Amino acid sequence: MTKKIMIVDDDPVIRKYLENIFKNNGYKTCVAKDGSEGMDTVTKENPDLITLDIEMPEEWGPRFYRKLSKTKPFNNIPVIVISGLTGNRYAIHKAVASLTKPFDKDVLLKIVKDTIGE
Amino acid sequence: MYKKILFATTGTPSCDAAARVAFDMAKRYNTELFTINVFGIPSRSFSQILIDIKTGNEIDHHDDHNAKVKNELEEIYQEQIQNYTPCETVVTTGIPHTEILRLARKKEIDLIVMGARTSTQEKTSSVERHIAGSTLQGVARSARCPVLIIGRAAASFWGGISNIVFGTDFSKASNQAFEFAFNLTKIFNASLHLFHAIDISSGPFKDTINQEVIEDRIREVREMIRKRYVSKMKGYNDYEINVWEGIPHVEIVKYARENFADLIVMAHHTKKMVPEEAILGSTVEQVVLRSNAPVISVNHPVRQKNK
Repeated sequence: MTKKIMIVDDDPVIRKYLENIFKNNGYKTCVAKDGSEGMDTVTKENPDLITLDIEMPEEWGPRFYRKLSKTKPFNNIPVIVISGLTGNRYAIHKAVASLTKPFDKDVLLKIVKDTIGE
Repeated sequence: MYKKILFATTGTPSCDAAARVAFDMAKRYNTELFTINVFGIPSRSFSQILIDIKTGNEIDHHDDHNAKVKNELEEIYQEQIQNYTPCETVVTTGIPHTEILRLARKKEIDLIVMGARTSTQEKTSSVERHIAGSTLQGVARSARCPVLIIGRAAASFWGGISNIVFGTDFSKASNQAFEFAFNLTKIFNASLHLFHAIDISSGPFKDTINQEVIEDRIREVREMIRKRYVSKMKGYNDYEINVWEGIPHVEIVKYARENFADLIVMAHHTKKMVPEEAILGSTVEQVVLRSNAPVISVNHPVRQKNK
């Protein structure tokens, strides 16, 4: 069954870029423009993995993650942090990985494949 | 809520995390923001020769120097000023903590925001890396308003207040910190975590190996929290009590991390009775430097207008 990746980022260019990377590698995608949209999208789409920005206008990534981690059955969905902020690897300590923009798409894809498979 | 926030900065990267919180907070809560930079310390009283705080070099202070430094600072925070909120920039000379406190009094500031350290110099020894800066010590000791301290970049990834951890050691100063924390909890309709760590690294429990003794103490402390704090919360239900055993600063940092705290509120220092004489307590200092949440240090009763 095709795995689904949810992209949470306020930058439409980054969202589109990530969508293209994942779709070109056989994944389905869904998107949310910030954390406040994120929980509705998770409930509706039930993704297998989430890529999460940190700084977003309405609701920041860590706050979204806090809600996610308290909501069963979504609390164990793996999260990859993708952010331009220095020190982002300390933002969500249970994230499977943290990448700093600009990031290497091959590194991202390897982390995704290692986490949820092809 | 806060009407006036003062962000104290050297304009160096060591203040970037504090800037992120200060500007975000001002925008999120529609607050007036002041930014202060104390750029030079007079080499002698009334001397025109200053020691530049950033470089340590001597500079000849003249009238247009202030304007130049102000422009520099506004350029550094240009994006935040444009995207977030208008702010008044103040540049001055003098002893940094004295000037910060002077402006805070003059403008009737409700909250001072600053980093744990303002020096850009690399701290080489492990001891130096775990000591808060002298400016912070000076401000936190005498400020009449709470001081919000951002010790790490990770402590600036917050985006608002909805989850507050209040760390107590049951001292008189902790009572003031509780009042402040609970007031903040009500204003933000937040969750309040009432937390105490039983110190098993020193004191009466140092050599205790019997876990039942420790757990009996945990039960007693939970009861103390209920009597001392929950009884004052008058039906506010969004709270939890947690008592852990361990090294206090480590346990608070761990608890805040595991519970995604947006803010930790602690008394500035709990042993000295005279606030002006109290240096930043070792527990709060270590929490400030290690936590991935901002820490508010409360050293005096908070003015009524904040309530």
